[in-house]
Amino acid sequence: MKKLAEVLRDWEAVIGLEVHTELTTLETKMFCNCRLSHDDDPNANVCPICLGMPGALPVPNEKAIESIVMAGIATNCEVMRHSMFYRKHYFYPDMAKNFQTTQGPVAFVMHGHLDLEVSGQGAKERPDSTVEKAQDGSYVASIRILRIHMEEDAAKMNHVGGAEGRIGGASESLIDYNRCGTPLIELVTEPDLRTPEEARLFMEKLRQTFLTLGISDCSLESGSMRCDGNISLRRRGETRFGTKTEMKNINSLKSLHDALEYEICRQAEVLEEGGIVYQETRHWEPSRRRTVVMRVKETADDYRMYPDPDLAPFDLSDEFVERCRARVPELPDAKRDRYVATWGLRRSDATQLAGDPAVARFFEDAADVTGAKVVPTLANVMVNLVPSFKALTVAQVASISSLLAADAITFAQAREVLEVVDGTEGDPERVVDERGMRQSTDTDALGAIVDEVLGRCTAQVQQYRDGNRKVLGFLVGQCMKASKGSGNPKMFNQLLAQRLEA
Amino acid sequence: MANLDTLSARQVAAGIAAGDFSATEVARAALDAISARDGQTQAFLQVSEELALSAAAATDAARAAGQALAPLAGVPVAFKDNMNLLGTRTTCASRMLEPYESAYTATCVQRMLDAGVTPLGKLNMDEFAFGSTTDSSAFHPTNNPWDVARVPGGSSGGSAAAVAAGEVTIALGSDTGGSIRQPASLCGVVGMKPTYGAVSRYGVVAFGSSLDQVGPMGRRVEDVALAMNALTAGGHDRFDSTSQNCDQDYLAHLDDSIEGRRVGVIPALLQAEGLTPEVRAAMRQAADGLAAAGAVIVEVDLPNMANSIAAYYVLAPCEAFSNLARFDGVRYGYQEPGCATLAEQSSLSRAHGFGAEAKRRQMLGAYLLSSGIYERYYLAAQKVRTLITADYQRAFGQVDVILMPASPTVAWEHGAISDPAALYLADVFTISNNIAGNCGISVPVCLGADSGLPIGAQLQGPAFADAQLLTFARALERSCGMEGSVAPAFAGKGGELR
Amino acid sequence: MALTREDVAGIADYARIALTDAELDEMTAYMNDAVELLDPILEYDLDDVEPTFHPIGELVNVVRDDIVAPGLPLEEALANAGSRQGRYFRVPAILADGGAA
Repeated sequence: MKKLAEVLRDWEAVIGLEVHTELTTLETKMFCNCRLSHDDDPNANVCPICLGMPGALPVPNEKAIESIVMAGIATNCEVMRHSMFYRKHYFYPDMAKNFQTTQGPVAFVMHGHLDLEVSGQGAKERPDSTVEKAQDGSYVASIRILRIHMEEDAAKMNHVGGAEGRIGGASESLIDYNRCGTPLIELVTEPDLRTPEEARLFMEKLRQTFLTLGISDCSLESGSMRCDGNISLRRRGETRFGTKTEMKNINSLKSLHDALEYEICRQAEVLEEGGIVYQETRHWEPSRRRTVVMRVKETADDYRMYPDPDLAPFDLSDEFVERCRARVPELPDAKRDRYVATWGLRRSDATQLAGDPAVARFFEDAADVTGAKVVPTLANVMVNLVPSFKALTVAQVASISSLLAADAITFAQAREVLEVVDGTEGDPERVVDERGMRQSTDTDALGAIVDEVLGRCTAQVQQYRDGNRKVLGFLVGQCMKASKGSGNPKMFNQLLAQRLEA
Repeated sequence: MANLDTLSARQVAAGIAAGDFSATEVARAALDAISARDGQTQAFLQVSEELALSAAAATDAARAAGQALAPLAGVPVAFKDNMNLLGTRTTCASRMLEPYESAYTATCVQRMLDAGVTPLGKLNMDEFAFGSTTDSSAFHPTNNPWDVARVPGGSSGGSAAAVAAGEVTIALGSDTGGSIRQPASLCGVVGMKPTYGAVSRYGVVAFGSSLDQVGPMGRRVEDVALAMNALTAGGHDRFDSTSQNCDQDYLAHLDDSIEGRRVGVIPALLQAEGLTPEVRAAMRQAADGLAAAGAVIVEVDLPNMANSIAAYYVLAPCEAFSNLARFDGVRYGYQEPGCATLAEQSSLSRAHGFGAEAKRRQMLGAYLLSSGIYERYYLAAQKVRTLITADYQRAFGQVDVILMPASPTVAWEHGAISDPAALYLADVFTISNNIAGNCGISVPVCLGADSGLPIGAQLQGPAFADAQLLTFARALERSCGMEGSVAPAFAGKGGELR
Repeated sequence: MALTREDVAGIADYARIALTDAELDEMTAYMNDAVELLDPILEYDLDDVEPTFHPIGELVNVVRDDIVAPGLPLEEALANAGSRQGRYFRVPAILADGGAA
């Protein structure tokens, strides 16, 4: 198969995503008062309603509707005042009623968009000139969102007796209805994505947005956030859509990228060999890095949708919508802009810190401790050091950032200190003192060391004077060694330069 | 001592409160009446002797402890077998649910229990409420107490027959297209379909969710009004999204005068094909009775009423298909043994669990909801529903209630009508009321001049005017003199309070 | 546009109702009769009429609070199941032998 870059020179990929997100942070299911399940025993959280017992009726969870309206507001959607629940019928026992309660043509929120900043290597995936690119090749892609609708999740089926828990070859299936009825929101994009990187960025941004809203734990690994990709190819310049395939089993952002990359290349190969792309559902196999056919869709499924007579329609009031709007916290883009404006952070650092609400909160708490001057150093610590540790406290990170900003320790020493205090309440300052790490900035004391080093390293001094400026690094190292690491390398650098230039 | 046949619900409760007899004595008398009479009527599917005696014992204990008794304390009541009651099976008279043990108790049943009733058991019905004869019960037919060769009507035929034969004082039925009012008419009892939403549907096995409504049946309007108090006590049921707060005292205005109030009649309806002369005569008698009580009889028109049958036979099968999809033999109900695949198990469980009419309705619904057909029929029928509702609104601008038959004929012999379509057409007088979500009630007027069998008159009222409807029903009852009648062949057989 | 035997067989397949050949013939006749009964619906001009999906007047926005209530104990949840295994409801193979997916 050809490589992606080569394929995308001739072909345009048209990608749309369907993203299902469980509202895991709620207490109860969508239409009954059963506790939402996390790691509970099978069928521990079930009742007549979510088991579809005869005579049971649904009543919607108000918080779930608040959550979806917040999700819509955060993704620039229009809140549709009038909508209804519909019944979508298909006979499969993962739906206890053999229909899923979902929404019809009008969803709670519709017609939104997310803007993606595509830069670096990722931006190179898009060779065409249909987007305006900056000098460094970066560009902004605005991805329209068709709708986000409210529905209920299905039960978990365990297929046993076959290989790897797959349905084929299984002799029986066991059903756990714990997940059945979990509030689920489904977001459908317009087919506006053109590269695997854009799709990955969209999912990343959506995930960050929902995490910031606090409506879900958004775990692709555990399946609380699930993404299906629809993908078709067309020759550059063609306006009609090609036949699309649907991609399932994507359980990481990387899988999303890789599966789409594979599928684009596969479809190109099929088409270039004069073959036909069939409308089918394909399963991503991460271990083999390929997609395989799950089922061919010969005809469109007929779900016999109709408005659920058991559920009163919705006519959302201004007051309700405004209450939801007020509960939408500062979103990642706004947060990033504030970090850049307030503390002069690098845009890429600010983006990284603002994306994950837990990281952003930690960062801002630490910033409160350090004060504004130290924040650029703090940001650097947050981006480059903190991710390698397990459990640092705000106080520890603030302290280490302050020490670094004051040139009291080196970056390498900071890492060493954090290794000591990680997972404890230990105070970095005390570790620095105990280990005698605190760098001296006493000019007289450091001057003496510099003089000693210059006195014995005559060969290097001569090289420097002959024009080899790189030797300065060696001399700084000798000074550091002589000071047993306690001297400030920046100060040594200055003092050495002064004396050598004199 | 008295026989339960002659006591109203209020008299039973008052007698227990006064110590004239105990709730246990009442329960035993009711069980005695059932054992003496049910062999002939076959109204019951299950008799819940233990539940009845323990509820009665609790009532007696409460009285002994000096507690105030609930308004229906000790009153013998039974439930249509589509209502969940813990400790009983809820079968919907279907093989599909033959083994199904209720996993919980329906709100309507619980509210009756909260009002102190003694639960005697579960009553026969057309399978899943599809029908108007009770002959489609998978277990056995029910016989009309006025002539056991005849059907009691349906689908709440067991409820109507049990009340008419004096096996219970009050029964609950459910009414999707006339399933309370028509059997009430055929069995000579009072049967009320309250406004849609007045009584919770939670725990009542759904047929047509936008049409179904639970209601009481009794031998007196007063008993039905008392049951309405119990069913609406507590107002909106938080387990039913479509239920509304209708909590009020339905006895308060029961005996108000209807002097000067307006009763609508639809002359064209009385010319309907299939309407028998004795039913027509009964309607005249009812109108005359109401007029004699001071009501003004006014002609009104419901121009779209004739098409309500077509609308109903779109809406009801579609909703039935959807509601009955859950019966697949996985979580409960009949499961076909020895199947190799899930699809085979589902298809055979449903093929062998459901009777013919249940399959027909689901097939029709599955077709009518399919892509491209949905707009043509279902969506159109919901628009016709808007027109029918508007017809009623216009008519109720002129009158308080509308008088019409509940059934075009008296009860017919088992098997006399076998064509499903012919049975569908007999629902013309009751269906539009469900489509509009209004309230309606059937009150016994007389025994037919030709047949000697009971004929009821139906009164329909606007949504949420249930109390007013009962006022008119009581006036009609007073004028007719059928109040409290137990079918003669059963009166006094067992049921003696000792 | 009468429904054919094949149409009806397709619906039965979808609705998971196994029909014998004789039942299929009867069902086809019934469905065509029943659909004919619905003709009055088709005679209306309904372009300007709004549907009434819920006969509940102005009732809207019926919701409940997000508060946990106990559900069914496991044994009660499984009590009516035709087949179970441990804590699970059990169904036979989804696909017939040799089915690949």
